[in-house]
Amino acid sequence: MYTAWTVKHKPDSTAEIVGNFLSIKALREWLQSWDKGLPKKRAAFLHGPPGVGKTITVEALARELQMELVEKNASDDRTEDAINRFAGLASQYGSLFGGKRIVLLDELDGLTGNADRGGVKAITNIVKTARCPVVLIANSAYDPRFRTLRSYCFLIEFKKPAAGIVLKNLERVSAREGIQPEENVLKFIAQRAEGDVRSAVNDFQALAQGKKQLTYNDVSWLAHRDRQDSIFNVVKLIIYGRTALGAKKAVNMADVDIDMLFEWIYENAPSHLTDPHDLAQAMDALAMADVYRGRIRASQDWSFTRYVIDYMTAGVAMARQNSKTSGWVPFKFPSRIMMLSRSKAQRATRKNIGLKIRRKCHISANRASNEVLPFLRIIFKNNVHMAAGIAKWLDLDSEMVEYIAETKAKAGKINALFS
Amino acid sequence: MSFEMWAEKYRPKRLSEMVDQKTIVERLMSFAKSRNVPHCIFAGPPGTGKTTAALCLARDLYGESYREHLMELNASDERGINVVRETVKTFARSRSIGEIPFKILILDEADNMTSDAQQALRRTMERYTETCRFVMCANYSGKIIEPIQSRCAPFRFSFLPREEHDAYIKKLAEGENVHLLPDGVAAIFEVCSGDLRRAINTLQAAASMNKPVDSLLVYSVTGKASPVDVQRMLNTAIEGDFLGARKQLRDMIQKYGVAGIDIIRQIHKEIFKTGIPEPWKIKLAAITGEIDFRLVEGSDEEVQLSALLARLVEAGSEIKKGN
Repeated sequence: MYTAWTVKHKPDSTAEIVGNFLSIKALREWLQSWDKGLPKKRAAFLHGPPGVGKTITVEALARELQMELVEKNASDDRTEDAINRFAGLASQYGSLFGGKRIVLLDELDGLTGNADRGGVKAITNIVKTARCPVVLIANSAYDPRFRTLRSYCFLIEFKKPAAGIVLKNLERVSAREGIQPEENVLKFIAQRAEGDVRSAVNDFQALAQGKKQLTYNDVSWLAHRDRQDSIFNVVKLIIYGRTALGAKKAVNMADVDIDMLFEWIYENAPSHLTDPHDLAQAMDALAMADVYRGRIRASQDWSFTRYVIDYMTAGVAMARQNSKTSGWVPFKFPSRIMMLSRSKAQRATRKNIGLKIRRKCHISANRASNEVLPFLRIIFKNNVHMAAGIAKWLDLDSEMVEYIAETKAKAGKINALFS
Repeated sequence: MSFEMWAEKYRPKRLSEMVDQKTIVERLMSFAKSRNVPHCIFAGPPGTGKTTAALCLARDLYGESYREHLMELNASDERGINVVRETVKTFARSRSIGEIPFKILILDEADNMTSDAQQALRRTMERYTETCRFVMCANYSGKIIEPIQSRCAPFRFSFLPREEHDAYIKKLAEGENVHLLPDGVAAIFEVCSGDLRRAINTLQAAASMNKPVDSLLVYSVTGKASPVDVQRMLNTAIEGDFLGARKQLRDMIQKYGVAGIDIIRQIHKEIFKTGIPEPWKIKLAAITGEIDFRLVEGSDEEVQLSALLARLVEAGSEIKKGN
């Protein structure tokens, strides 16, 4: 049966939770302080990025301090009425069965404007009058909606643990599953998780379930996928951007440089702009971005980069007037870049051939590659004997022969004939 | 069939072997006879014998050892001012050994020289006239600065007339045992319009297929031999296939190394021949001009030209709408 490892290997005690040691300690002391009477702040507000252990900390502490945990999270209905009904639970310190109680309101970010109308106000009222510890959890405590609520809360921040700490947790899970990963494998997964302990475990499970060994090759492809995912998103935000500012801001999310991002947009925009007028506008914008790149080169003044960005993002996004969303056209890696790197060596070869022709034919290397080379291509394709004769006469090397012949097989025959 | 470049094999060695350009050849022969040569400008379209005439003149003057008294520079490969200051000057001022007191410097494709380099050349020509005579070959004498033109004897080369061209090509085909059909000769003249180098290259490429050379074969060779198929690219765009047109553009630039400037100038010529709506023609000409300028400034060739292709797609969609 499939069980998520994040559940199966959930820490039972706070000792097993990795990172945020001081935050856990602060919460424990605050919970214990309730034994000595009502504390100044009746709620603790745990905030921090996803997957760093906020919820499990509360769960583990409740177990260790032998308190009953009453929980409400985003999956529950949280209108003002629903929360008020819940409020009664927080109004007495002791629980129904005589024990002490913690009221947990998880995933407060999930409170949405309309459906959960009045929710924050209701929570604030609960906190003001609570007779037992209330714990609130959200990714960001600094959302303007929480301004009033925040002032009644004891704020405890949970931070992203370093990769080494994420790794420690993976090693624990790995040992419990009886998996022997190759060196670097867990490290790689830990680094990729960027401090999200939960997603690291999820990734690990996705890669390792059912295996006893795990090699670096099994996991290294993930790096590739990630980068592609993020660039796809950025390109999509730009090409389908609805506001000029939105399209511009997408640049900040890209982890490639501006020139590379330009190539991505230049490659993909045409496939997503079906209306000819829109297409022309978008290509104009890209051409203008390119003009500013030229001005940066000429003036060495990099502050012009802002105009490159304006044209290549907002300029392309605002070109869309009549084009429909073109079904699902996948984004492609910029083929021009692949061709450029491939053709760099070819350009050098072509130039050298031009110089060889110049020596014999009294025309410039430039003219030679434009005017003579095309005829040589035809000859090399059709007549290996004549090709071999010319190759010898021009003193071409085998690389040049291959360039003109365009196929290895042909080049092989020609080279065999004249050497 | 011989296995070298026929255009070189059949390049005339002496002035007396040259076909056509009669008046020019006569005057050059008289220079050789009197053993005195002025600075010259050979102007005319490609493949009309400018470089050949210069080489023949040198051979007639100095005999088989002419290479020792001659320097050939190609301005489109070495067009900067430093070449004039160093290479040209060094060659021009050193004395010649032998009966003839001067050497000859052939400056090919001289119209590609920067005007700075031409200015620098002007003084060199004057100072070292005694030891060096310049023969400047150019497609357009207009691109050579006035002061240099006034120091040179001008010779205007023109395309070979039909009869001379046909006779020459037929003789060459005979010498190489090529089965050349009459309509093949006509086709070669048609596609090369008297450019003899191109004509010979076309014949050789066609002959390499070991088939009788008729007009069809000639057309297929010239089709394959022109990487700058601007017309096809424009039509692809007008029909609405932007990605296809951009691919063709990319191949021209990257695979065949065609300069963006050359592409845009051809586009400019073709625009007025296409079937796009009349008002669009001048609009596109304006865009062409802007992009031409951007390329001169050093912008990215493909990005700029594909902006123009996108405008053509737009113009093409106007045709379909019937505007």
